[in-house]
Amino acid sequence: MSNKPRKFKGGVHPNDSKALSASSPVQDAPLLEKYTVILHQNIGAPPELLVKKGDAVKKGALLAKASGFVSVPLHAPTSGTVTAIDKCPGPTGISVPSVEITADGEDEWGSPFEPMADWQNAEPADLKQRVWDAGVVGMGGAGFPSHVKLSPPPEKPIDTLILNGAECEPYLTADHRLMLEQAEEVVLGAAILARILGLKTAVIGVENNKLDAIEALKKVAANHNVTVQGLSVNYPQGAEKQLIYALTGREVPIGGLPMAVGCVVQNVASAVAVADAVVMGRPSIERITTVTGEPLVNPGNWRFRIGTPISKALELAGGVKVQPAKLLLGGPMMGFAQSSLDVTVMKNTSGILLIPAEQVSQYTSEPCIRCGKCVTCCPMDILPATISQAVENERFDLAAQLNVLACIECGSCSYVCPSHRPLNQHFKRAKAEIMAARRKQQNK
Amino acid sequence: MTIILTSLIFAALLGAILALIIGVAAKAFAVESDPRIETVTDMLPGANCGGCGYAGCADFAKAIVEGAASPSDCPVAPAGDSARIAEYLGITSEQKEKMVAVVRCSGSISVTVRSPYNGINDCRSAVLVAGGAKGCDYGCLGLASCARACPFDAIEIRDGLAVVHPELCVGCGKCVDICPKNLIVLVPASVDVHVYCNSPEKGSVKRKVCKTACIACRKCIKAADNAEQMTVKGFLIETNYDNPPLSDLVEKTGCPTTALRLASKHAAGEYDGVSK
Amino acid sequence: MADNILTITIGAILVNNFVLAKFLGICPFLGVSKKIKTALGMSGAVVFVMTLSSLVTSLIYKYVLSKTFTVAGTEINLTFLKILVFIVVIASLVQLVEIILQKFSPPLYQALGIFLPLITTNCAVLGAAELSVQAGYGVLESTIFGFCSALGFALALILFSSLREKLDLAQVPAPLKGTAIGLITAGILAMVFMGFSGLV
Repeated sequence: MSNKPRKFKGGVHPNDSKALSASSPVQDAPLLEKYTVILHQNIGAPPELLVKKGDAVKKGALLAKASGFVSVPLHAPTSGTVTAIDKCPGPTGISVPSVEITADGEDEWGSPFEPMADWQNAEPADLKQRVWDAGVVGMGGAGFPSHVKLSPPPEKPIDTLILNGAECEPYLTADHRLMLEQAEEVVLGAAILARILGLKTAVIGVENNKLDAIEALKKVAANHNVTVQGLSVNYPQGAEKQLIYALTGREVPIGGLPMAVGCVVQNVASAVAVADAVVMGRPSIERITTVTGEPLVNPGNWRFRIGTPISKALELAGGVKVQPAKLLLGGPMMGFAQSSLDVTVMKNTSGILLIPAEQVSQYTSEPCIRCGKCVTCCPMDILPATISQAVENERFDLAAQLNVLACIECGSCSYVCPSHRPLNQHFKRAKAEIMAARRKQQNK
Repeated sequence: MTIILTSLIFAALLGAILALIIGVAAKAFAVESDPRIETVTDMLPGANCGGCGYAGCADFAKAIVEGAASPSDCPVAPAGDSARIAEYLGITSEQKEKMVAVVRCSGSISVTVRSPYNGINDCRSAVLVAGGAKGCDYGCLGLASCARACPFDAIEIRDGLAVVHPELCVGCGKCVDICPKNLIVLVPASVDVHVYCNSPEKGSVKRKVCKTACIACRKCIKAADNAEQMTVKGFLIETNYDNPPLSDLVEKTGCPTTALRLASKHAAGEYDGVSK
Repeated sequence: MADNILTITIGAILVNNFVLAKFLGICPFLGVSKKIKTALGMSGAVVFVMTLSSLVTSLIYKYVLSKTFTVAGTEINLTFLKILVFIVVIASLVQLVEIILQKFSPPLYQALGIFLPLITTNCAVLGAAELSVQAGYGVLESTIFGFCSALGFALALILFSSLREKLDLAQVPAPLKGTAIGLITAGILAMVFMGFSGLV
């Protein structure tokens, strides 16, 4: 591991805006009367529902079991009764199946597994099974099942475990506060993950705008053979491929995964979820989310349970002092705009962001002026200008040739475009069309 | 005089030699091609719409001559033209029923709940942002992907809703493939009664976001001559296109949400702004 | 001799480019430059026709048309048949190319369409033959001149078709779409090639 971090090519420097919530310690959200837990909270297959209307559940009880290898179980956020199996608005705008639990007020634990007291000597396979049983997914926002990441095939040997504490998105401070307040758990999680992968060490990458978090982590890191590396502040430093390059100098090939260069990357919050699952015997039912934005009265960081409606989250933040124009789940660069306040918090909801009218980007269909700013800032080294022209002309074959599938949808190009072209949306469209065409080809 | 003669002889000689070379080459490199293909291509409408499933009229003509396709596969050609092609080639072909497209949604801007959308003005792109930012997950977004795809300009966007003009539609099916919500279906041109709603959600849920949704109250089934003419699919009613109702059903029913409409009147705009 | 050949080569390809400096052969230049693939096919056809026609016409000119001979007492010089003979030779060559192409590459034959037989009326091909005569080149020099002129034509055509493929994707204002912006681009390309003047 090198001591000085490498700078990846490209990237942008949007205004941090983290001061709104960076110094707010994490508050536990009060127990709600009802939680509407969305069933499908991971990339891959949705879990299979086990409970039915009327069933009584304890906190942490199994609601749905994994339906395949790339699927994770779902657990109850509190004790109570299942009052409905219905639909609720999902984060991508379409209604999704959900389980409604009415709390009984007791909040009594009923976890399906026990703490593993002697995890330092446990079998890595058992530890990994615990990660799966606890329903841990990538909590940086992707929601990819963690146990799958920890199961590389034998022909792809792993030699580096990286913990992602970069939190490069503006406004978001959830991971920052987690690293500051729960440094011990983060490092513990790293140690457990390292044991699962058969490694002796791990490295935590943190952007240099979180010096206090770096200090806090360094204090406890040495106890578990974990190193902490500061990273240059550059969006999207927290993107897997860019993080791997900065810490190891290795380039993940286009279309490849981190395991192709011997690395596994996990978010710091996922590491804490792993530590909770192994050491405390608790499934993944809550997470820290930053509720922020200029229109809010009290922006800050809260620990929400899954199934908490966004409307309740905004209430806790004191409501709005000025009418916002946009509500995003996630950060301003890659977050999803919402059209309903009835969406509920999921395992990968890192932020709830309100944006005032004067800061909202108005996209236009102005022509590309060939300034090249997007090409300079693209961290994946593709040509946003040419690809977006191809997409405008519905030439998805040309877009595929230009490697649009390598795009990580970070939004840097849309951010810098002087013509305010909706570049990120063009690439989402291109990817959707190319994948649909490939599926059609396969089914023929 | 001599000059003229010499030049004539020289030119003739040169011409003869070159003609001989070309003649030999033509025989040696001859390419077989069926002359009927060109004639059939001329007999087709020449719109190159792809409704037959082939790349263009020339490709389709080749398929007909080779026997892989029937002249009536062309949705654009009138029955007389298909019959003439069949006669020319000495084959038999049965005429297919004329189909037209129907956009099964009546949720225009004035009757639906929507969030402001700012992005690419195209349905297939808009659907990637919050599902299209329309209250109803299944409704028409009105950003004209279908209208632009139609080679015959048969689709009009009125108040954010795509409306097919059945008299202009030839049933080529291009709009069916393009719609990201799968709202468009091809139906027999003779049927005029349709339910302009495609959402399987409960009636009460639908009404919250759209005033003209079908609430499956079954008034149309009761008013029909034969209960089989309208089929129930969960919380949605559909016309039974194999046993369709007569056009007077809309008047007889008095649909409480005006989801039940006549295609001709819908195209003419007679239901616009009507909501109860 | 070698000096001369180098001058002919660079002159024909760059300095006196047939399309961009002499403005000959604009018809296929605009008609076949929509796609790089068809442009390549057309270039191949033109190189073949121009080289062979330069060779054959220069041979006929040197050994038949330019010679004075006696027929039935009168001295005859058939130089005046130059244009007629050149055209007939070029037309036959193009017909040969058409027949061969239809047999061996039907898609390219379809893609080139009407522009393949139009090589006959292409002033560039006749121009190469005529200019060789005017410059007094021998057979070898004529053939090289024809070959290099065709290369220059191919260069201009391929450059232009690459530009047009890119222009196709751009948001060109409606009045300028299609041929209009193509001609403007061609003009700018011609100005660019003016930079070579004075090289030879």
